[in-house]
Amino acid sequence: MNTAMTKEELTQVLDQALQDVTERTAGVRLHQGDQPPGEDLCTVHITFDRGFNTSLTLCADTSLLARMARNSFHEDAVTQEDLEEFSKEYLNVLCGKVTGAMFRATQIPAHFGQPVFYHGRYEPEGQEVQFILTYSDEHSEGAQLIHHVPCSSEDGAGETKQEGHIK
Amino acid sequence: MSRQIMIVDDSRLVRVQLEDVLKGTDYEVAAYCRSGEEAIEQYSTVKPDLVTMDIIMQGMDGLDAAEVILKHDPNARIVMVSSLAYDDTFERAKAIGAKGFVDKPFHQEQLLKVFEQALL
Repeated sequence: MNTAMTKEELTQVLDQALQDVTERTAGVRLHQGDQPPGEDLCTVHITFDRGFNTSLTLCADTSLLARMARNSFHEDAVTQEDLEEFSKEYLNVLCGKVTGAMFRATQIPAHFGQPVFYHGRYEPEGQEVQFILTYSDEHSEGAQLIHHVPCSSEDGAGETKQEGHIK
Repeated sequence: MSRQIMIVDDSRLVRVQLEDVLKGTDYEVAAYCRSGEEAIEQYSTVKPDLVTMDIIMQGMDGLDAAEVILKHDPNARIVMVSSLAYDDTFERAKAIGAKGFVDKPFHQEQLLKVFEQALL
């Protein structure tokens, strides 16, 4: 059984999932670019606690997330609570889509925990960035989807017998 | 006559999307439940034609809740609506007696087709 995905395969899965989920849930089209989010940003982080020992972080301009939340909830304005609720649910749906694709590739059912929301940038401890996908929309608002893996000093932490890994 | 739907999902995002998709159709949202426990409690009162059931929720998950509802009412029409689109999840949903499975995020056409099949 192939329990590994290549970085390229995962990149493609994440890219497709992000574009699809963003358009279907929030009516916003994101395309890959090279302009990172500005200083007023929010982060949502989710950890894969079974199947794959990795995590995903979405950093996005607050204005982009707010617009996506307004579109999704059909509200003219959104509160901080709405923004947080939307961001977490959006990442949940995105991760569901991603784990489905990972399962089809590796036959390993991944499980992810509850997403955590932060104002500003958040970097998970004990993990390092494996790759970053950078997006922007037609308003030049930006988002980054960051894939983290355990720090290389934690030897083989992501490659236990029962788990898949990203190579 | 419109078909009564009970939505079981702890996500506001999904509830709004379901409402959007059902607007202008023969389906009417009769009740919302945010957990498996609430769904079990509400089911016999609401008596919906169809239940849409999320899987991952706080407390009892949707598969367990569907199993309990179907034990009490083997004719219950339950469609699982989840992003957990794994083969083993499909199989367990089918084994329990769920009438269909819709992958999140969903398309209107896909959702209505599964609803129609579930109500046959």
